[in-house]
Amino acid sequence: MTPPEASTLTYAFAVCHGGALTALAALPGLDTGASVRTLTAGPLTAVVQDVPAAGFGEEALRRRLSDRDELERCARAHHTVITAAAALAPTVPLPLATLYLDDDRAREALGERETSLLTALDRIAGRAEWGVKVYAPAGPPPPAPEAAPADGPASGRAYLDRVRTRQRSREQHHTQTLRAAERVDTAVRSLAVAARRLRPHGVEVTGKHRTHVLNAAYLLDLGRERELRAALASLRRDETDIQIELSGPWAPYSFADGGIADGGLTDGGTADERRTSGRTPS
Amino acid sequence: MTDRDLVYPPSVTADRHPSDLAEILERVLDKGIVIAGDIKIDLLDIELLTIRLRLFISSVDTARKAGIDWWETDPALSSRAAKDALAQENAELRERLHALESRVDSDERLSAVGATVAEEGADR
Repeated sequence: MTPPEASTLTYAFAVCHGGALTALAALPGLDTGASVRTLTAGPLTAVVQDVPAAGFGEEALRRRLSDRDELERCARAHHTVITAAAALAPTVPLPLATLYLDDDRAREALGERETSLLTALDRIAGRAEWGVKVYAPAGPPPPAPEAAPADGPASGRAYLDRVRTRQRSREQHHTQTLRAAERVDTAVRSLAVAARRLRPHGVEVTGKHRTHVLNAAYLLDLGRERELRAALASLRRDETDIQIELSGPWAPYSFADGGIADGGLTDGGTADERRTSGRTPS
Repeated sequence: MTDRDLVYPPSVTADRHPSDLAEILERVLDKGIVIAGDIKIDLLDIELLTIRLRLFISSVDTARKAGIDWWETDPALSSRAAKDALAQENAELRERLHALESRVDSDERLSAVGATVAEEGADR
């Protein structure tokens, strides 16, 4: 095995445009001892940090992220830097573990994408992402008590009826909560400049007592937080069958690819585009 | 733009709520723009990794690829599974009915035999 040429790699957190980013130097970043710094590439500024090549090579990185605690530590560190940058300037977040061999390579990569990055930055300037999650509590209690097997064959038909009724009411309940989720989506969408559906979380996160029926992200102008909260308060009053949760403001993670909702960006699809359904408010 | 309006919490490390972590990972792992790095972990790798960690990422497609399909058999989550459950129940009930019928049958035959024996006895 040949030893790596350089002992450090350039880890990139985000790409910004304008703004005074000097405050970021105070952040620990990935806690590698090096300070978080900025890297100018034409009109763009990347927020980067030197990381040891030994700890962040492909194999090392894979190992690192396989460890739950380490994954959490890296994710939070990454997120903290992005969040701080987004508070100072329009910021396009980069996914966790975006690494370049050195600063020149980072500049080069940014240069290749300059136009689309500027478009994206322009789009998210003055806006923030909000997350809205809708949960359906676990189905309603069955209309009849659980059929006791001891009832024997005599009540077989009644048992089947009970099973059918329970199933039907469960399905109805599910349909109702999906419709309620659609109403929430429509209401929030009307305040947003862009919206995206994210994947619902599984029971590992939600717990068995509820089902995730809507996981959406909305890009809102900064001044509209009050309206958003008022709309959700009103929805919570009307939609009593569901739980609505709001998170944010987030750096515009879900809208960093700029013109998806406008169809204005044609950078070739990222895996992300295949998985989420970007929809345009009509 | 008034930057003052946008006050992000400087640190989120104090909050260890699991769904908060799930939400951060959801964004940090596969949101944001991808500018091909020289070293990178495939998004799919990270996904599989995370599924293995049972944290959260379980989209229908990717999770199915990883062989995780519990939701397809959970009647609460899938109408198909609900139908399957009903069909299965039906089959089980049919089986029980069949068993009962054959028991009744053989009982009848036994009592018929008994009656014949009794009749034969009476004839004598």
